[in-house]
Amino acid sequence: MKKILLALFILAYSQAAFSQEKQKLSLELNNSDVPTALNKIEATSGYKFYFDNSWLENYKNIRITKNFNQASLDEILTEIFSNTDLNFFVDKNTVILTNNSIIYSKLADNYFGETTTRKSDEVVIQGDPVFYQQYDDATSGDSKNNSVSLIGKEAKVSGRKTFELSGYIKNTKNGEPIANVIIKTPNNEATAMTDDTGHYSIQLPSGLNVVEVESFTHKKVTRKIMMYNNGTLNLNITENITLLEEVNVRGKKREGAKAAIAGVTSIDIKDLKNVPTVLGERDILKIATTIPGIKSAGEGSSGVNVRGGKEDQNLFLLDNATLYNPAHFFGLFSAINPYTIDKADIYKGSIPAEFGGRLSSVFDISTKKGNTTKFSGEGGIGPVTSNLMVTTPIVKEKSSLLVGGRATYSDWILKSLNEPSLKNSQANFFDIITKYNHKINDNNDIQATFYYSRDAFSITSDSLYKYSNRLATLRWNHNFNEKHKGALILTNSEYKFNIDFDKAESQRAFNYGYKIDETQAQLKFNYDYNKKHTFNYGISSKLYGVNPGFLDPIGENSKLVSVALDKQKGLESALYIADNFKFNDKLSFNIGLRYSVFAALGASNQRIYEDGLPKSNETVAEIQTFGNNEVVKTYGGFEPRLAIKYAFTDDFSIKAGYDKTYQYMHLLSSNTTQSPTDVWKLSDINVKPQDAQQISLGAYKTFKDEMYEVSLEGYYKRMNNILDYKVGAEIMLNKNIETELLQGEGKAYGVELLLKKTAGKLNGWIGYTYSRTLIKLDSPFDVEKVNNGAFFAANFDKPHDFSAVLNYKFTKRYSLSMNFIYQTGRPITYPVGKYQFGNAEYTLYSDRNAFRIPDYYRMDIGINIEGNHKIKKLAHSFWNISVYNVLGRNNPYSVYFVTENGQVKGYKTSIFSIPVPTITYNFRF
Amino acid sequence: MKKIFLTRLTLLFLICIGLTNCTDPYKMETNTFEDALVVEATITNILQKQTIKVSRTYRFEDFGPTFEENADVFVTDSDGIEYPFVQSNNVYTSVNEFQAVPGKQYQLTVITSDGKKYTSTKEILPTDSPLEEVTANVATIDNVTGVEIRAKSYNPNGSSQYYRFEYEETYKIVAPKWITTKAFFSGPNPNQPILTMLPRTEEARTCYSTDKSLEIIQLNTNETAEDRVDFPVRFISNQNYIMSHRYSILVRQYVQNAHAYNYYKALKKLAGSGGNILSPNQPGFLIGNIKSVNNSSEKVIGFFDVSPVSSKRIFFNYADLFPDKPLPPYKVNCTELSQKYCFSTLDPSCNGPSVVGYINTNVMVIYKFDEAPIYILTPAPCGDCTTFSSNVIPSFWE
Repeated sequence: MKKILLALFILAYSQAAFSQEKQKLSLELNNSDVPTALNKIEATSGYKFYFDNSWLENYKNIRITKNFNQASLDEILTEIFSNTDLNFFVDKNTVILTNNSIIYSKLADNYFGETTTRKSDEVVIQGDPVFYQQYDDATSGDSKNNSVSLIGKEAKVSGRKTFELSGYIKNTKNGEPIANVIIKTPNNEATAMTDDTGHYSIQLPSGLNVVEVESFTHKKVTRKIMMYNNGTLNLNITENITLLEEVNVRGKKREGAKAAIAGVTSIDIKDLKNVPTVLGERDILKIATTIPGIKSAGEGSSGVNVRGGKEDQNLFLLDNATLYNPAHFFGLFSAINPYTIDKADIYKGSIPAEFGGRLSSVFDISTKKGNTTKFSGEGGIGPVTSNLMVTTPIVKEKSSLLVGGRATYSDWILKSLNEPSLKNSQANFFDIITKYNHKINDNNDIQATFYYSRDAFSITSDSLYKYSNRLATLRWNHNFNEKHKGALILTNSEYKFNIDFDKAESQRAFNYGYKIDETQAQLKFNYDYNKKHTFNYGISSKLYGVNPGFLDPIGENSKLVSVALDKQKGLESALYIADNFKFNDKLSFNIGLRYSVFAALGASNQRIYEDGLPKSNETVAEIQTFGNNEVVKTYGGFEPRLAIKYAFTDDFSIKAGYDKTYQYMHLLSSNTTQSPTDVWKLSDINVKPQDAQQISLGAYKTFKDEMYEVSLEGYYKRMNNILDYKVGAEIMLNKNIETELLQGEGKAYGVELLLKKTAGKLNGWIGYTYSRTLIKLDSPFDVEKVNNGAFFAANFDKPHDFSAVLNYKFTKRYSLSMNFIYQTGRPITYPVGKYQFGNAEYTLYSDRNAFRIPDYYRMDIGINIEGNHKIKKLAHSFWNISVYNVLGRNNPYSVYFVTENGQVKGYKTSIFSIPVPTITYNFRF
Repeated sequence: MKKIFLTRLTLLFLICIGLTNCTDPYKMETNTFEDALVVEATITNILQKQTIKVSRTYRFEDFGPTFEENADVFVTDSDGIEYPFVQSNNVYTSVNEFQAVPGKQYQLTVITSDGKKYTSTKEILPTDSPLEEVTANVATIDNVTGVEIRAKSYNPNGSSQYYRFEYEETYKIVAPKWITTKAFFSGPNPNQPILTMLPRTEEARTCYSTDKSLEIIQLNTNETAEDRVDFPVRFISNQNYIMSHRYSILVRQYVQNAHAYNYYKALKKLAGSGGNILSPNQPGFLIGNIKSVNNSSEKVIGFFDVSPVSSKRIFFNYADLFPDKPLPPYKVNCTELSQKYCFSTLDPSCNGPSVVGYINTNVMVIYKFDEAPIYILTPAPCGDCTTFSSNVIPSFWE
């Protein structure tokens, strides 16, 4: 192509005369395509056409039906090429077709001048024709991508300085439009972003432009574009699973370039495979915990702690619906099938105003859209679980269905063990997800998601624990116009657990259970007011129903009495508006305001306790009775979310933020870490909502064309009314749980450093966090004080946290990945002595969390082996071999103490004390 | 309910896959030792010399507490009357007999020998609901047959509500392989002594053991319609040797106030392995109602409880409850060991040195000697109950 064009140029240049003979032709075209038409001209005249066949590929569908009678060649060709970007130049009997460009009969004045060395992204002189010289400059450079897209048909009279380039950006694999892709020139003079339909439009100067196309989930593409006129460029971008040099985690840098939000991280699910796995499972939550500011209490703990927040302060959204327990099997696996996930945005600070209800973070996880063009799928086979995702079009190009499922076969492993105590135990889980997309027209589309996960395990042969998540979403996206878009979202989520204790003929056989259910309606709008202001606004309302616990005897012999706690109901509503305000190129704001209100609803009996006395069964002043749906108590408040960004240069910026959040529900757990049998409690007269305020400041810098990224963020956070418990509290089936609760304040602060290398053979990231989380439980009453009312370290306070995730790609097929984690040991309350009381020996404990367990460190390695790279292949596959805890470090997870036969004994629990190798086979088709 | 949370290693099957024991004993560090005062004081409504225990915490490697010596201990009531206590045998006993009466407030003061002063909050006597009856019935619980001891009381006013129980069980023991004679060693060579069987001079066949309840046993009647106690205080399996012959139990019922009840309840919960293996219960220091006057942040352990107490003793015989049933197995397995008492180094069947060792260390006794020098030995508890119990008949025994 390049050579042909160069030849054309030489030809054009060498021609001394540019005369055209006025030969008249008669020609009958009947539904002819362009080549046929040209052949006919050649046959009926002496003209010979020169062109590149590939140019005509684009115009295969053009059919010309017309009779030309004694028409000039000019007229005929103008007609034939009227719907194409082709120009023509007639030289005697030779007709040279050009794609886009007109061959000028004279050179630009400056063709041989100094200006020819100007950079390709500079604007050519207004109104001057675009010459190939620029083109030569651009293409002869040592560029990665040599193809140049020629846009628009050059008009001899254009004279315009800028042209509009528009088009759609789609996924190469499934033809799905991709939203939020940024198209920009390298100097950011012109930027645009695709909307939900993948459409973009950008103003580019005429002449040669370099355009970068970048998204969080796809590979960055650089295209050279020759702008002749307004035109269309549709791009397919590739998620390109074979490109291991891809980054695993991408900060939302480019969105950051537009918005002012700090403290957000996006995880590209497709790159999870570059991180060594546990038991062969790719895990989004495990990756999340390698990001500074996000920690888990330890292996085998279901929850995560974000910037000093408790485990219950994270909002997990799966396609907009709340996922109550994002973990399978005590947190060893995440409950989300990685093959069905498109991306996860994690907000650990500056939570956008559209989210609310939890103090510390939002994990906004969205599933993939099904493939609307062809049947495809992905799967993995591992030692503990297997995984499959398939997607198929329902109505081609319009609607699709995605189904994903995952299940364990660990029961089988258990049964094959010789250890009798394990033979009767069981542990299994599965999850399924289906998503349906339907594009009604350009302005309306509908999505529906259904998800269900279930875990069952028994830890003694006579008890069975079960828990399940269920959620459903229905979303209708509507475009009022190009600028104004809206969505109506209906969601429902349920979380429940059961414990069956069913020892044969036992008098204590029972079934204990808990359930929470929420239904939400949400309206979200997005209004691109102008280049400076983009507004998001919306309203939402959520109804909770909690069945806080019941216990039923099982069997005839059981002597237990049925217990059922009163249901709790609550309505949480919110209104929000946010303005993404770009003051100028350097300064931008994100000003969000959310107002949320929570109403605890009846039917309910609420105790009122005497003022000035601790809440206990003895200090009840009165009991108030509320009828069904009667408002028991309302709480509410403004939640400002403010962020500001100042870009000193294109590659260096600082951001600051302030946000306030309210949380109207609490997870009750008297244990040191989260477990699936912890229960959620709604705020009521005696349990106040939690609130938090955070200020954060960050500096961001990129080097070497964004190959290296460095960010440093700091935060300070205050929390009020966070929940804790009296020592030895009884939470299960407690009708008056408030007598066991303490509400205190918390403060957290930290500095987070992240270094990323996003390209090259070696890539990955290194994060370090120094952070503290302190809690204060003070009260006028001794029984409600912990550590004498002073601040103390929270259970998950781990000041030093270092993690490194690195990939090294040997060849296109082989890559090695490694991660290393170091954390300060978790605080524990340590026995500091014994004492005798009432004939038995007891343990004296230190102040709460006054000691720490030994430091935690672990290294994992993994090898990815890709299948071969033939394009025409039934399935693409790769093997993943990983070893978890290569160093065999016996990391203590918890240390606890019991009084056995009047003697105090200490035990240490560790989860993976030996290297655990796994091998997984993954495929996609 | 609690039992099910006593999670064992089984949960970690996947992780361990039989390769490693995931829960290991953890060696306690002792450089963390904290010294604290421990007060155990229950003043009752019985007119008697009241007792108060004052001790200190001790290190993990130590066997027992050190008692707080030479402290000044006294209780004052709301009329200003002071009841002084004096130290005797590691407890502090009131100088005079006194009893707690309704309507008065009582406060405990302890001044240690180094001058530190500790006081309790002021406590009042809760309403009594005397123990009416203690019963012993055959019951089967979770497929185990045995005897269930129940305490019963009833407060028609419903004002007592919180109960704590203690018991002392005393049981008769009959050594199954007791004989009238006992081995004695004599002669010039202590390594090869002469063995003589002589008549026993002390009672060694029938003994009486007394055990106190170790666990905290509590009940509250808050949630029940009536303030009625019908509570299983103790369950003894029919395979437990302690009720082989005659058994007696003294059940003591304390009525507590809510604060005291909650303190004991939390103490019991903290001592158990509550929670599951992956998320253990949050332990911590449990504050009672005694505080240091000098330093409010000093940890003081224990509770000053003012409590009505009532007790009942019952007796029963195994044969009455389980007629024609075989006796439970004895405390130890009374196997027999045949030994030849000789010291020849040439005869490999000579076990003389072993026999001397067994008898001198009270591990075994001689059961049969009619085929001397072949002796039949049996574990000492089988032939002599004084090796683990007492041959003194308790004064209350009937």
